[in-house]
Amino acid sequence: MNEIAADRKKTGRTANIAAGKGRRRRLFYGNLELYLLLVPGILFLLLFKYTPLYGVVIAFQDFNIFDGISGSSWVGFEQFRKLVDSDEFLQVFRNTLLISLYKIVLLFPIPIVLALFLNEVSKMWFKRTIQTIVYLPHFLSWVIIAGLFVNILSPSAGLVNEIITALGGKPISFLIDNHWFRSVVVFTAGWKEVGWNAIIFIAAIAGIEQDQYEAAAIDGAGRIKQMIYVTLPGIAPTIVLMFVLRIGSLLDAGTEQILTMYNPVVYETGDVIGTYVYRIGLGKMDYSFSTAVGLFNSVVGFLLVIGGNFLSKKLVKRSIW
Amino acid sequence: MKKKTFGDIALDVFIYLLLLLVAASTLLPFLNVFSKAVSAEWAVVSGKVGLYPIGFQLDTMKFVITSNPFIRSFLVSVGVTVAGTALSMLLTAVTAYPLSKRQLPGIGMIMLLFIFTMLFNGGIIPNYLLMKQLGLINNLWVLVVPSLISVFNLLVIKSYYESLPDSLEESAKMDGACHFTVLFRIILPLSGPVLATIALFYAVSYWNDFFNSMLYISKPSLKPLQLYLRDIVMDADSVSAGMSRSVEDRMNVSPEGVRAATVIASTIPILLVYPYLQKYFIKGVLIGSVKG
Repeated sequence: MNEIAADRKKTGRTANIAAGKGRRRRLFYGNLELYLLLVPGILFLLLFKYTPLYGVVIAFQDFNIFDGISGSSWVGFEQFRKLVDSDEFLQVFRNTLLISLYKIVLLFPIPIVLALFLNEVSKMWFKRTIQTIVYLPHFLSWVIIAGLFVNILSPSAGLVNEIITALGGKPISFLIDNHWFRSVVVFTAGWKEVGWNAIIFIAAIAGIEQDQYEAAAIDGAGRIKQMIYVTLPGIAPTIVLMFVLRIGSLLDAGTEQILTMYNPVVYETGDVIGTYVYRIGLGKMDYSFSTAVGLFNSVVGFLLVIGGNFLSKKLVKRSIW
Repeated sequence: MKKKTFGDIALDVFIYLLLLLVAASTLLPFLNVFSKAVSAEWAVVSGKVGLYPIGFQLDTMKFVITSNPFIRSFLVSVGVTVAGTALSMLLTAVTAYPLSKRQLPGIGMIMLLFIFTMLFNGGIIPNYLLMKQLGLINNLWVLVVPSLISVFNLLVIKSYYESLPDSLEESAKMDGACHFTVLFRIILPLSGPVLATIALFYAVSYWNDFFNSMLYISKPSLKPLQLYLRDIVMDADSVSAGMSRSVEDRMNVSPEGVRAATVIASTIPILLVYPYLQKYFIKGVLIGSVKG
């Protein structure tokens, strides 16, 4: 009896699969037009995204532009050995981590506080004006931001140094001083994005149900207590998600930003992986080594994002994609 | 209305003052650089200019925006932004449509192909070598074609299509409309707001890009505005080089002032469209995050 039942189940399943195949085929041929619409997009993807991905193999070669990928000799992990042994790379790696960590520790909490405070403002015109002002720098390119700060921090006639000298201090060349460069990078990054980054938290606060505040008020909680015991827990999942996302880009210490601000004098403190790849690759034409550094960067970044997504699913049951 | 306690008032004062301080520190750099751009040469050079112009003049601004390299790079940027946004929108809006039909065989896999490129890319050198092979170095198309699809934008449009009711399409199909007609006559017109948002995303990223132009464009006549501005900001020499015009022109004009005026002149286009940018960008960020 049992055997027959099992057998029936089996044939039933194969029949299902066959029917499924037929259905899939019908779906495919019935919607050929739709697949046709995908062709330009896929061609774009293959040519401009996957061809460079294949090009990464030169990290395992001693690549020579005249011989191309097929003609250059393979050296295995030689470039990576060079990378691990390079003091210069270690310095760059250290700079990347330091700048990134400073940015996370000092800048990640500010948008949350900003959102909490904006939520306490009852005058709508005031709230809107502040938002309009603090969102603005987000829309400007790093070149413009660098232009603004080069002006302000200029040792000859910049506003900041005028104030320093008026107070009896000596002018500081912020952008060519290794003691100051990282601080300038962290500060300007905050100046540009802190306001904009508050948006996501403002939206999360708007999603908290009003009766939670009423209940807290009945229990005698004042506004500060409501902020700490209602609002903050209410947006905690968003905070965790944003934090995880932020960790995912740990190795991007702000390549574009630093490229617009730095110069050889501050390589010691300001050169990060992204700028180093550019400098070694296109400046010194050391294609293979530069690609190896880039690949290291991509792999670690990829692992961080995957790990972060896993964590965020575990902690707040929300996935990045 | 409940009466405010002393603590409430103190908290309000603290919060309002703090927010004012944040807003002021955002505006301060603009005010200072703007004042430098429109102040007299002697005031700029001696470092007297603070938050308001001293010896107001518009010669420096005029000098900057009438200089040939500025006009040329401004036009390059406008061209790249217009062409790039139009082509990006066409390609992204069309590609997102079949991707929104998740029940079709193979679509899930193709979607993964797109998403993977968000997480992993070839890096600077393989991209550079590809552009070189395609003959795109010092060709303005290099600023458009390789950035045509942003996968993030694609995902936003796709999830919007998915939220549209199926019944619309089905009734159109009953009337014998093909997929193309459905997309262009029904889906796209219904997606107005999200398409406007994404178009602005694209436009701002084309306008603000300097990384790609730094990698692939070295010919001065092809430099977009951001790259031209970078030369001026990074390198005082290029400021003086740009100033080697008639002595008459240079009245009232100092390198510091020129630098400030170039920064301000490059900021103005964004300021002009800022009200739209703010409105649509906030929408876009929220759509993008709800989807997650």
